[in-house]
Amino acid sequence: MPTKTKERELTFSQAWQRYGTLGILVLLLVILAILRPSFFFKTSTITQILSQSSVNILIALGEFFAILIAGIDLSVGSVVALSGMFMAKLMVSGTSPIAAVLLGVLMGALLGFINGILVNSTGLHPFIITLGTQAIFRGVTLIISDSSAVFGFPASFSRFMAQRIFYVPVAAIIAIAVALILAFLTKQTKLGRNIYALGGNRESAWYSGINIKLHTLIVFVISGICAGIAGVVLLGRVGSAEPAAATGFETYAIAAAIIGGTSFFGGKGKIFGVVMGGLIIGVINFGMNLLSVSSTLQQVVMGALIIGSVTLDRFVAGRK
Amino acid sequence: MKTLVEMKNVVKKFPGVTALDGISFDIRSGEVHVLLGENGAGKSTLMKILSGVHKPTSGEIIIDGKAFDHLTPHDSYKNGISVIYQELSVINELSIGENLFIGRLPMKKLGFFETVDHSEINKRAREILETVGLNRDPKTAVEELSISEKQQVEIAKALAADSKVIIMDEPTASLTNSEVESLFKIIRRLKRDGKGIVFISHKLGEIMEIGDRVTVLKDGGYVGTKNISQITQDDLVTMMVGRQISKNYQHDTFDFENEPVIFEVANLSRKDNKVRDVSFKLHKGEILGFSGLVGSGRSEMMNAIFGAEPKSAGRIFIDGEEIKTSSPYSAIKKGLAMVTENRRETGFFHNFDIAENISVLPFVKTSGAGGISGLVSKKDEAQWADEQKEKLNIKCYSTKQLVSELSGGNQQKVILGKWLAADSKIIIFDEPTKGIDVGSKSEIYSLMRRLADEGKGVLVVSSELPELLSICDTIAVFREGKIVKFFNHREATEENIIHASTAQESEEI
Ligand SMILES: Nc1ncnc2c1ncn2[C@@H]1O[C@H](COP(=O)(O)OP(=O)(O)OP(=O)(O)O)[C@@H](O)[C@H]1O
Ligand SMILES: [Mg+2]
Repeated sequence: MPTKTKERELTFSQAWQRYGTLGILVLLLVILAILRPSFFFKTSTITQILSQSSVNILIALGEFFAILIAGIDLSVGSVVALSGMFMAKLMVSGTSPIAAVLLGVLMGALLGFINGILVNSTGLHPFIITLGTQAIFRGVTLIISDSSAVFGFPASFSRFMAQRIFYVPVAAIIAIAVALILAFLTKQTKLGRNIYALGGNRESAWYSGINIKLHTLIVFVISGICAGIAGVVLLGRVGSAEPAAATGFETYAIAAAIIGGTSFFGGKGKIFGVVMGGLIIGVINFGMNLLSVSSTLQQVVMGALIIGSVTLDRFVAGRK
Repeated sequence: MKTLVEMKNVVKKFPGVTALDGISFDIRSGEVHVLLGENGAGKSTLMKILSGVHKPTSGEIIIDGKAFDHLTPHDSYKNGISVIYQELSVINELSIGENLFIGRLPMKKLGFFETVDHSEINKRAREILETVGLNRDPKTAVEELSISEKQQVEIAKALAADSKVIIMDEPTASLTNSEVESLFKIIRRLKRDGKGIVFISHKLGEIMEIGDRVTVLKDGGYVGTKNISQITQDDLVTMMVGRQISKNYQHDTFDFENEPVIFEVANLSRKDNKVRDVSFKLHKGEILGFSGLVGSGRSEMMNAIFGAEPKSAGRIFIDGEEIKTSSPYSAIKKGLAMVTENRRETGFFHNFDIAENISVLPFVKTSGAGGISGLVSKKDEAQWADEQKEKLNIKCYSTKQLVSELSGGNQQKVILGKWLAADSKIIIFDEPTKGIDVGSKSEIYSLMRRLADEGKGVLVVSSELPELLSICDTIAVFREGKIVKFFNHREATEENIIHASTAQESEEI
């Protein structure tokens, strides 16, 4: 007779899956605190890390959904640039900041919508579609900006974005708010459940009545909206819209999602993990700046980190 | 007869469950040793210990007089043990020949380089393929082969590795009758060559035909080993389930023809012409079965009715009202459900636990706006899962367990549960009992009968004729995309159904 126990002990690999990223983050912070205690124990340090990570976390939150359905969105950096440029143009031509911001985020949604429609109608892998739109959106940014930066935003906008509430910068509050909304979406809504199903098994999803094209479209719109919001935050931080803004940011977004435990094969991952992944990257960047590691070497470290973390994850998860 | 492998007192514990509780098992040269038991009894686990996938918690394995406390996959291979799993492991992209010698391809010198010796591969492959009766060029890519041919390649692979023990885990689950016959021919030949065969199956008829000895497991425990020549099929059932099971599930005196028609399909054709001009009616209380060869149009028609494949013509009615099914979503919304044929490909979500798998359907059914609006209720989810676990007797220690940790038959029950949870008016069952043990089968048949009695429409597609004969009131026979004949269960026999499904166009049926 089999002996059945109700509760089973948490195995190491399960504990790792649940708390691993949090553990790494804490470990990094401890290392930093030991190496540079004088800097580390200042509130401005936390503020700075949060504010620097916000853009990446926002982009990564959208990227997460694209990876969750076993796809990818390579166009996010260009979407940040184009929606940011669009907003900047609106603001300098006299549109109220609130309207400009809303229209800019809407632009992000529209660009995501275009990605989704192209993926659905061509049946090509999102990698190819978004590689194409990455170039197209960047090209359009260069055209509408005449290849030059746009600045001189209304003071109300700059002041708002520079605010802090209890040491927490507005940028971080925006990122946290978006993360909470998306966590709700993934955990509590049927839409979220369906997206996980689609990522786990497309065929089963189709037979179970899940509209694959509709959900794919929604995923890319979410990714576009997140990139659009990241565009707002970036404008606020930099104070100008650069045509080359956010170039290569997709790499960091993908890295944050993957370090945060999102499976490249689709169907597995959590919003909390993505936020942790984004913070880990933020802390490493901050730490390397603090230790005056050259920017070229930083790239090498970041690349090694991506490969290392995924390998470690595979290894510990025990999937041979 | 010489004993090739002996397992002694093997125990295997998984977190939360003891899958094997002190099992002893041996394999002799020149025999087919059948391993029988209910779903989750531990058959696959026992074999995975021999192949080195699982490490036993305790126990001993003796091969050729050598004792091991566990085997690595390499030990297993070196000692001549091959396993053919139900999910075949041939590599589709390679040729047959390359598959046979993968991992130890014969090489030849070419100047400074060593390259794969393709002529040697093909020569040796041809000899082996002949042994297993596969008439194919070794250069053919494996992806072009049918399931049964792929299985033959797996057996050939075991022979190429010079295996002494060949383990087949539910090899016949997806084979047609004639394919089963050719598999048995190969097995008999392997026996003559002195190989030891382990054969796992839930089809008792097959076991009586091909087996020499049978060992029965129950809930991880050992029930007994018997010579098959000395027992009957009923003895097997008793050993396994502990009771006799019913053979028929029809109501003898029931006259459904006077009952109202609850589901009707008229002149249905598929865009790709795999189904042409098919019509049928289903009465209240009637179970309608569909027979025919693989590819004759049964599942193809169900896919079209369910909106998964495009139709070119035809109308569908529930309770006399016409419904349009342009996608599975619309079909589900209108009250249809379809237990799909292939659980791995179109059935479950490997990233979901049991409860999440089961609740996909009711959540979709109660959602709005094309399936995207609405919230997930954990309470409903748990309730649906518990209900189905209870109803189908799914063996798991928690409905929060991943489906991939379940035994094959219990995975199939999760798929059934997923569709039953939708509480649909019309339920299509496509090969519903694939891999399910005889005891559970009889429970599922009773359940189907109960659904029909409650006024639900039950349609069944099955390649197992005894299954259709024991549950259906009417059996429709498909041939070349059309229904060629309807049989009332009183006149239906295996012979006349087979005749109808294979007769030539011109012949009188
Ligand atoms: N990897 C695993 N993790 C946890 N439990 C497992 C794992 N593999 C099998 N089990 C459990 O061990 C028990 C025996 O499973 P096994 O697959 O051997 O059954 P089986 O006899 O082959 O059944 P079936 O006829 O349904 O294929 C089941 O309760 C199953 O849930
Ligand atoms: Mg099994």
